[in-house]
Amino acid sequence: MPYGKPHRHPWGMATIEVNALTKTYGEMVAVDGVSFTVPPGEIFGLIGPNGAGKTTTVECILGLRSPDGGSVRVLGLDPSRKRRALAQRVGAQLQESALPDRMKVGEAMRLFAAFYARPADWRQVLRRWGLEHLRGKAFGDLSGGQRQRLLLGLALVGDPEVVVLDELTTGLDPVARRETWALIGELKESGVTAVLVSHFMDEAEHLCDRVAMLRGGRIAAMGTPADLISRAGATSLEEAYLTEVER
Amino acid sequence: MKALGRLSVSEIVLLARDPGSLFFMLAFPIMLLVLNSGNDNLEILFPSYLAMILAIGGIAAMPGILASYRERKVLRRLAITPVSPVTLLLAQVGAQVLMGLAGSVLLFAVGLVAFDVDLPAHPLPLALAFVACSLMTCSIGFVIASFAPNDRAANLIGMVVMFPMIFLSGAAVPPEALNSTLRRIGDWLPLTQGVQALRDGWFGTPEAFPLLVMAGIIAVCMAIAGALFRWD
Repeated sequence: MPYGKPHRHPWGMATIEVNALTKTYGEMVAVDGVSFTVPPGEIFGLIGPNGAGKTTTVECILGLRSPDGGSVRVLGLDPSRKRRALAQRVGAQLQESALPDRMKVGEAMRLFAAFYARPADWRQVLRRWGLEHLRGKAFGDLSGGQRQRLLLGLALVGDPEVVVLDELTTGLDPVARRETWALIGELKESGVTAVLVSHFMDEAEHLCDRVAMLRGGRIAAMGTPADLISRAGATSLEEAYLTEVER
Repeated sequence: MKALGRLSVSEIVLLARDPGSLFFMLAFPIMLLVLNSGNDNLEILFPSYLAMILAIGGIAAMPGILASYRERKVLRRLAITPVSPVTLLLAQVGAQVLMGLAGSVLLFAVGLVAFDVDLPAHPLPLALAFVACSLMTCSIGFVIASFAPNDRAANLIGMVVMFPMIFLSGAAVPPEALNSTLRRIGDWLPLTQGVQALRDGWFGTPEAFPLLVMAGIIAVCMAIAGALFRWD
């Protein structure tokens, strides 16, 4: 298995623990008392409308922002204090991040692999994500979907135990989306724990073991996709989501 | 170390793909040398042009690069890797030193072959002056990058700081060409110390004073840049 390591965590310890997390920007409360835990090997989804607090929650998990209240632990560590130690073990793909336009795909993979103590084989990651034929292409010349796939590959090149994927398949065509889903399935089999932020309900339903629906900075509902669907008396997660959001 | 090496290589490759950097750091100084080749004493131009090359790279070009990394969220992507801000900045210095060295060697090679100029008198002090001057121009660039709101502002501020500095410090034109008032203004500019140290190494008597002043400027600028550094 090129990605991920089998469960290394002691039994009973959650990989991610978010406890009563709050974050405000000036007057605006972005996250207001969010709590959830993600056990090892789970794929956990964060869904909700724009401004619901999904990205802020993810940024606190990655140590890019410090919580104003509550606590976050990832692999037992506080991300706002141990950002760099955690970065060795947590891979992420963020919304709207970029590389220098003149950097080539193969160079980016090789560069990012050099950041980690025990990286995956970057050539293998290139092949795995269908980037091999783009190896000599500059970032500035890539299509939106190709960029997305490269950023995903970069999230995995450090051979992480935890991955955080924000808007995983935005900008991908339907075929590429399905391919990405299949690769996430493989990641799961290799024991990686994942947090997935998505606007696509079919994606969350298909990929996630459990889902938290955020609204106005709070968790409106949480459970397996099947749970949420049956609780809402719906036939799909999308329908359950719309019911919840309109309530 | 592996990260720093790879990041420096990557930055120098990106610089080498940028037509602007290639022209101003490699071709432009040679053009100036050829234009001035009617002078009897061509040697005095070399240390000045070396300082000019380093100022163009560190003060005018580099802040725009860093600020565009911030604006385009390249820094945000790097913030979630184990790379430290120090490594990031050192890689920029590494790339600028190498690019400056390439421009200087090229310039000197042209001088040697076409105009039969003398070899530098004190190679080691000259190398030390070169590294100090490069660190100083980069540290000034980091300060600009740290407070510039976006890459256009960083480029503009870089130009506004660099241009008067290279003229008044005796980098774009040798100090001998400046009148006494301009020279007195120039005495207060950081790059003047770089020009002085490079001249000492090339044909003068190497002295510690300009190097010490540069060390002080580097320390102050790095402290400011470090305190103001932000990933986004």
